[in-house]
Amino acid sequence: MAVDIRTNLYNFSVMEQISYTSSTVNLDAVFSALADPTRRAILSRLADGQASVNEIAAPFEMSQPAVSRHLKVLERAGLIEREVDEQRRPAKLKADTMAAAVEWLSEFEAFWGASFDRLDDVLSQMKQAETRGTKL
Amino acid sequence: MSNISEYVLDRTFDAPRELVWRAWTNPDLLQRWYGPGVETIIHKFNLVPGGLWLNEMKWGDKSDLSKMEFKEIVPQEKLVWHHSSTDADWNVCANPMMPDWPRVILTTVTFEDSGQKTNVKLTWVPLDATEAEIACFTGAIGHMGKGWESGYAILDEMFVEQQSARQ
Repeated sequence: MAVDIRTNLYNFSVMEQISYTSSTVNLDAVFSALADPTRRAILSRLADGQASVNEIAAPFEMSQPAVSRHLKVLERAGLIEREVDEQRRPAKLKADTMAAAVEWLSEFEAFWGASFDRLDDVLSQMKQAETRGTKL
Repeated sequence: MSNISEYVLDRTFDAPRELVWRAWTNPDLLQRWYGPGVETIIHKFNLVPGGLWLNEMKWGDKSDLSKMEFKEIVPQEKLVWHHSSTDADWNVCANPMMPDWPRVILTTVTFEDSGQKTNVKLTWVPLDATEAEIACFTGAIGHMGKGWESGYAILDEMFVEQQSARQ
């Protein structure tokens, strides 16, 4: 299952790297920021590298003020940061917040599904034991 | 309140109901599968109404503790418990990662025959939840499966960028 592999990947590598600085992340804010498809598209754009409001607005047929409003929501959620000392104030993705949020939700989402996969294995071991006449 | 979100997971297991029930109610068997690929340690398991299941999940140097209080036990048919995160002393506490996550989640598991197989249905509903808790739970349930695949996609893109930058 792809999700299990990813869950383990994020548990063991990403979470180690960011070493639970994520406990200060406001996941509620992250969730509502990510609920919007335009904001997810903006994040996807920023995954390729930092960009100015102009550069972000270009593919969206959206006014700069509208893009700025989306950036504010993303900034408040801790998903991006803006350079303050440059004229064009490029926006940059903050990977650790993103990783923490995705990790948390995927863990929750995978929890019962992954457990049930393991239950399948335990049940087949129990069935094998029964046919051998031993009981687990 | 009929509009509270429910998390429902249905699964058919290829085993008779008696076996499936045993896998859920024998702590030695339960700790072999409960938890998504982590080490699970069951510190206490008292399968009576009002009895407790104290559970620890370990990965790396981290530990996640939860307390389940059994409410209803109908052998081979139904298990009902209250599910909560706890601190190191097994006191119910807010989820450290998500303060508005519901403190108590009503968990219901039902077991039904389906020929030689067994249908298991698990339901999670926030219990006595505040509006903030309901909003948080509803939000998380709502994001599953849609927002999150794109979250992964963004992270994947980013890791590819970082790796190619290192080389």
